[in-house]
Amino acid sequence: MNTRTSTRRRRPSWFIRFWAVVRYEMLWNIRKKKFLGLVIVAFALATLIWVLPIVSSNATDQPIEADPDFAVNFAIPGIGLFLFALITAMNSFSSEFESGTVVPLLTKPVSRTMVFLGKLLAALIIILFTYTILFVYGIIGGTLVYGSQNNLHLVPIGLFGNILSTFLWVAIIIAAGTLSKSTIISALVAFGLFFGLLFAVQIISVLAGPSPILNYVPGSGASGKMMTPQGQIDIGAGTDNIGVNMINYVLYPSANVDFNMTRIELQGNQPLITQVFAYSEPISLITSRSVVTTIVYTIVFLFIAWIAFKWAQILE
Amino acid sequence: MDLAIETNGLTKKYGSLTAVNRLDLRVKRKTIHGFLGPNGAGKTTTIKILVGLLKPNEGTVRVLGQELHGDKTAGFLNSFYEQADSRLSIGYMPELPKFPKHLKGSELLDIYGQMYGMTQQHRNEQIPKLIELVGLKGRENDLIGKYSKGMQQRIGIAQTLLNNPELVILDEPSLGLDPVGMVEVREVVKEIAKEGRTVLVSSHLLFEVEQICTDVTIINRGTALVSDTLQRVSGLIEGPAMLHVEVAKTSDKIVNAVKKLPSVTSVVQTGNTLRIQMKTHEDTRAQVSQEITMSGGIIIGMSQKTSNLEDVFIQLIHKDQGEKPR
Ligand SMILES: Nc1ncnc2c1ncn2[C@@H]1O[C@H](COP(=O)(O)OP(=O)(O)OP(=O)(O)O)[C@@H](O)[C@H]1O
Ligand SMILES: [Mg+2]
Repeated sequence: MNTRTSTRRRRPSWFIRFWAVVRYEMLWNIRKKKFLGLVIVAFALATLIWVLPIVSSNATDQPIEADPDFAVNFAIPGIGLFLFALITAMNSFSSEFESGTVVPLLTKPVSRTMVFLGKLLAALIIILFTYTILFVYGIIGGTLVYGSQNNLHLVPIGLFGNILSTFLWVAIIIAAGTLSKSTIISALVAFGLFFGLLFAVQIISVLAGPSPILNYVPGSGASGKMMTPQGQIDIGAGTDNIGVNMINYVLYPSANVDFNMTRIELQGNQPLITQVFAYSEPISLITSRSVVTTIVYTIVFLFIAWIAFKWAQILE
Repeated sequence: MDLAIETNGLTKKYGSLTAVNRLDLRVKRKTIHGFLGPNGAGKTTTIKILVGLLKPNEGTVRVLGQELHGDKTAGFLNSFYEQADSRLSIGYMPELPKFPKHLKGSELLDIYGQMYGMTQQHRNEQIPKLIELVGLKGRENDLIGKYSKGMQQRIGIAQTLLNNPELVILDEPSLGLDPVGMVEVREVVKEIAKEGRTVLVSSHLLFEVEQICTDVTIINRGTALVSDTLQRVSGLIEGPAMLHVEVAKTSDKIVNAVKKLPSVTSVVQTGNTLRIQMKTHEDTRAQVSQEITMSGGIIIGMSQKTSNLEDVFIQLIHKDQGEKPR
């Protein structure tokens, strides 16, 4: 039986089709009002960082101390990374299911893998775009307030690290979204995980002392201090701090980071809190470990999300 | 037989409920195939399997000659192309379709068109025509979030036709439309079928199906009760079709002339009304009226007791429920 008739078409380029998915997702993201809202909030925060010193120096009549390393140490805090990831990725799969738009989408000649990768690429573009603006803004603000900046050529490394850190959360949120098909559930799971891990790591750090094990869960990890010729630098060894740590590694490749343990002793009736040296690790190990950990987590969660999406029955 | 859709032993279960039960659906190419059944018969479920949204528990599906399989069996990376390409020649309108509210009507068509791999130029040519066809001209630059239900149905029909598909699957296209909209949709469906396309249209509106379809499948509880041409399905229960003609004044000459027509079985005269029994269900009114006029009769009224799909439907469903009570 001849089943392939003469009307069989030439296969059109998959790139055009893939790009259509990216376009679809980009428009979705850009027209989401809360995304714009978050960008505004981010800008407000970044502005505060360099406006506050001006305000306080005016109030105290103390001149602002020059800080040539402000830009290179500029990084989005863990909660910021998490929120950016949440806003960008929270709806991207689950609300397709919730609104029923997944039905016309998945019956177009784009495979589910194409849709998955397209949405991921769109999230990457959005985050890259926002972070780039934010970093440029930070550099300009930092230069205005703290004088001329050193090592500006390292800023792209910081940007890359921040994006990598964000993508770990993106992967977790997408996995939760494709498994639950519910925005609320995936947001709750993500929030629970973020704050749960945050508090767990803090509590364990205080009670049992810092440990390299803390760096194997998503988050800020163990915190230590790095000795450099320029002085002491605070280091978070977890997955949220890849950007700064990569830069620190480039600047001080052979530096070591000391991790201290908080010890509470009773001296008579007074508790005495002391910091006791616990262990030391080279910055190279800290940086490479957090990069590998982040990549492994990201791949694992994205894989789970991909499989869940690929095999999902569309009951909506 | 050249089939656009062929399912064999198709079965789909939702937990313990069997929504589609060993269904053998055959849709010939270049027909408008009505897919009929009461609420919950399994029409939407079947269609969702055909377009790859659901995986059947059992059975095989061929659409436009291509074996369809769930992503699961398509191989790990293979499916990146495989499943997508089988949808290139298919246009599908879901039951009560939902489109992204933040897109304008024309943007939606443009992005979907791009998903079919259409070039910008091709899209620019095609989209205004489609918007015109479904009667959305002037509203194409409004956000879909601001569309009424009927307008969403219309954009839903437009997006099925983007890539000039060979097969169009419409799941209750006139659901939620006003009477004018329903008539318009019927016209559009006929238009769609003109260029040698195959159309599968699900409905429970029998008059709608009667007006547009060439073939019909009636399903109940996931199983096909009958599947044939509209004509044969309509003639399934009642005897041959009847034509009632009222004339100003009857005469033997008229009756004899009508009787001689090859398509006529018998003529019964009651008063000034001739009850003519036909051999076929074809429309023979013109022929009959010509014959009567030539015999000197003046026709006052004529009515054909047309198809009785509704009777067939009700009887079939009734029988099915009776035999296998749920
Ligand atoms: N997502 C679902 N989960 C569980 N059961 C479902 C689901 N969707 C449909 N069903 C059941 O499957 C059966 C067939 O439903 P389906 O939607 O295919 O019917 P239909 O013929 O399209 O009906 P309608 O004319 O009302 O649209 C029904 O009994 C329905 O309750
Ligand atoms: Mg239905």
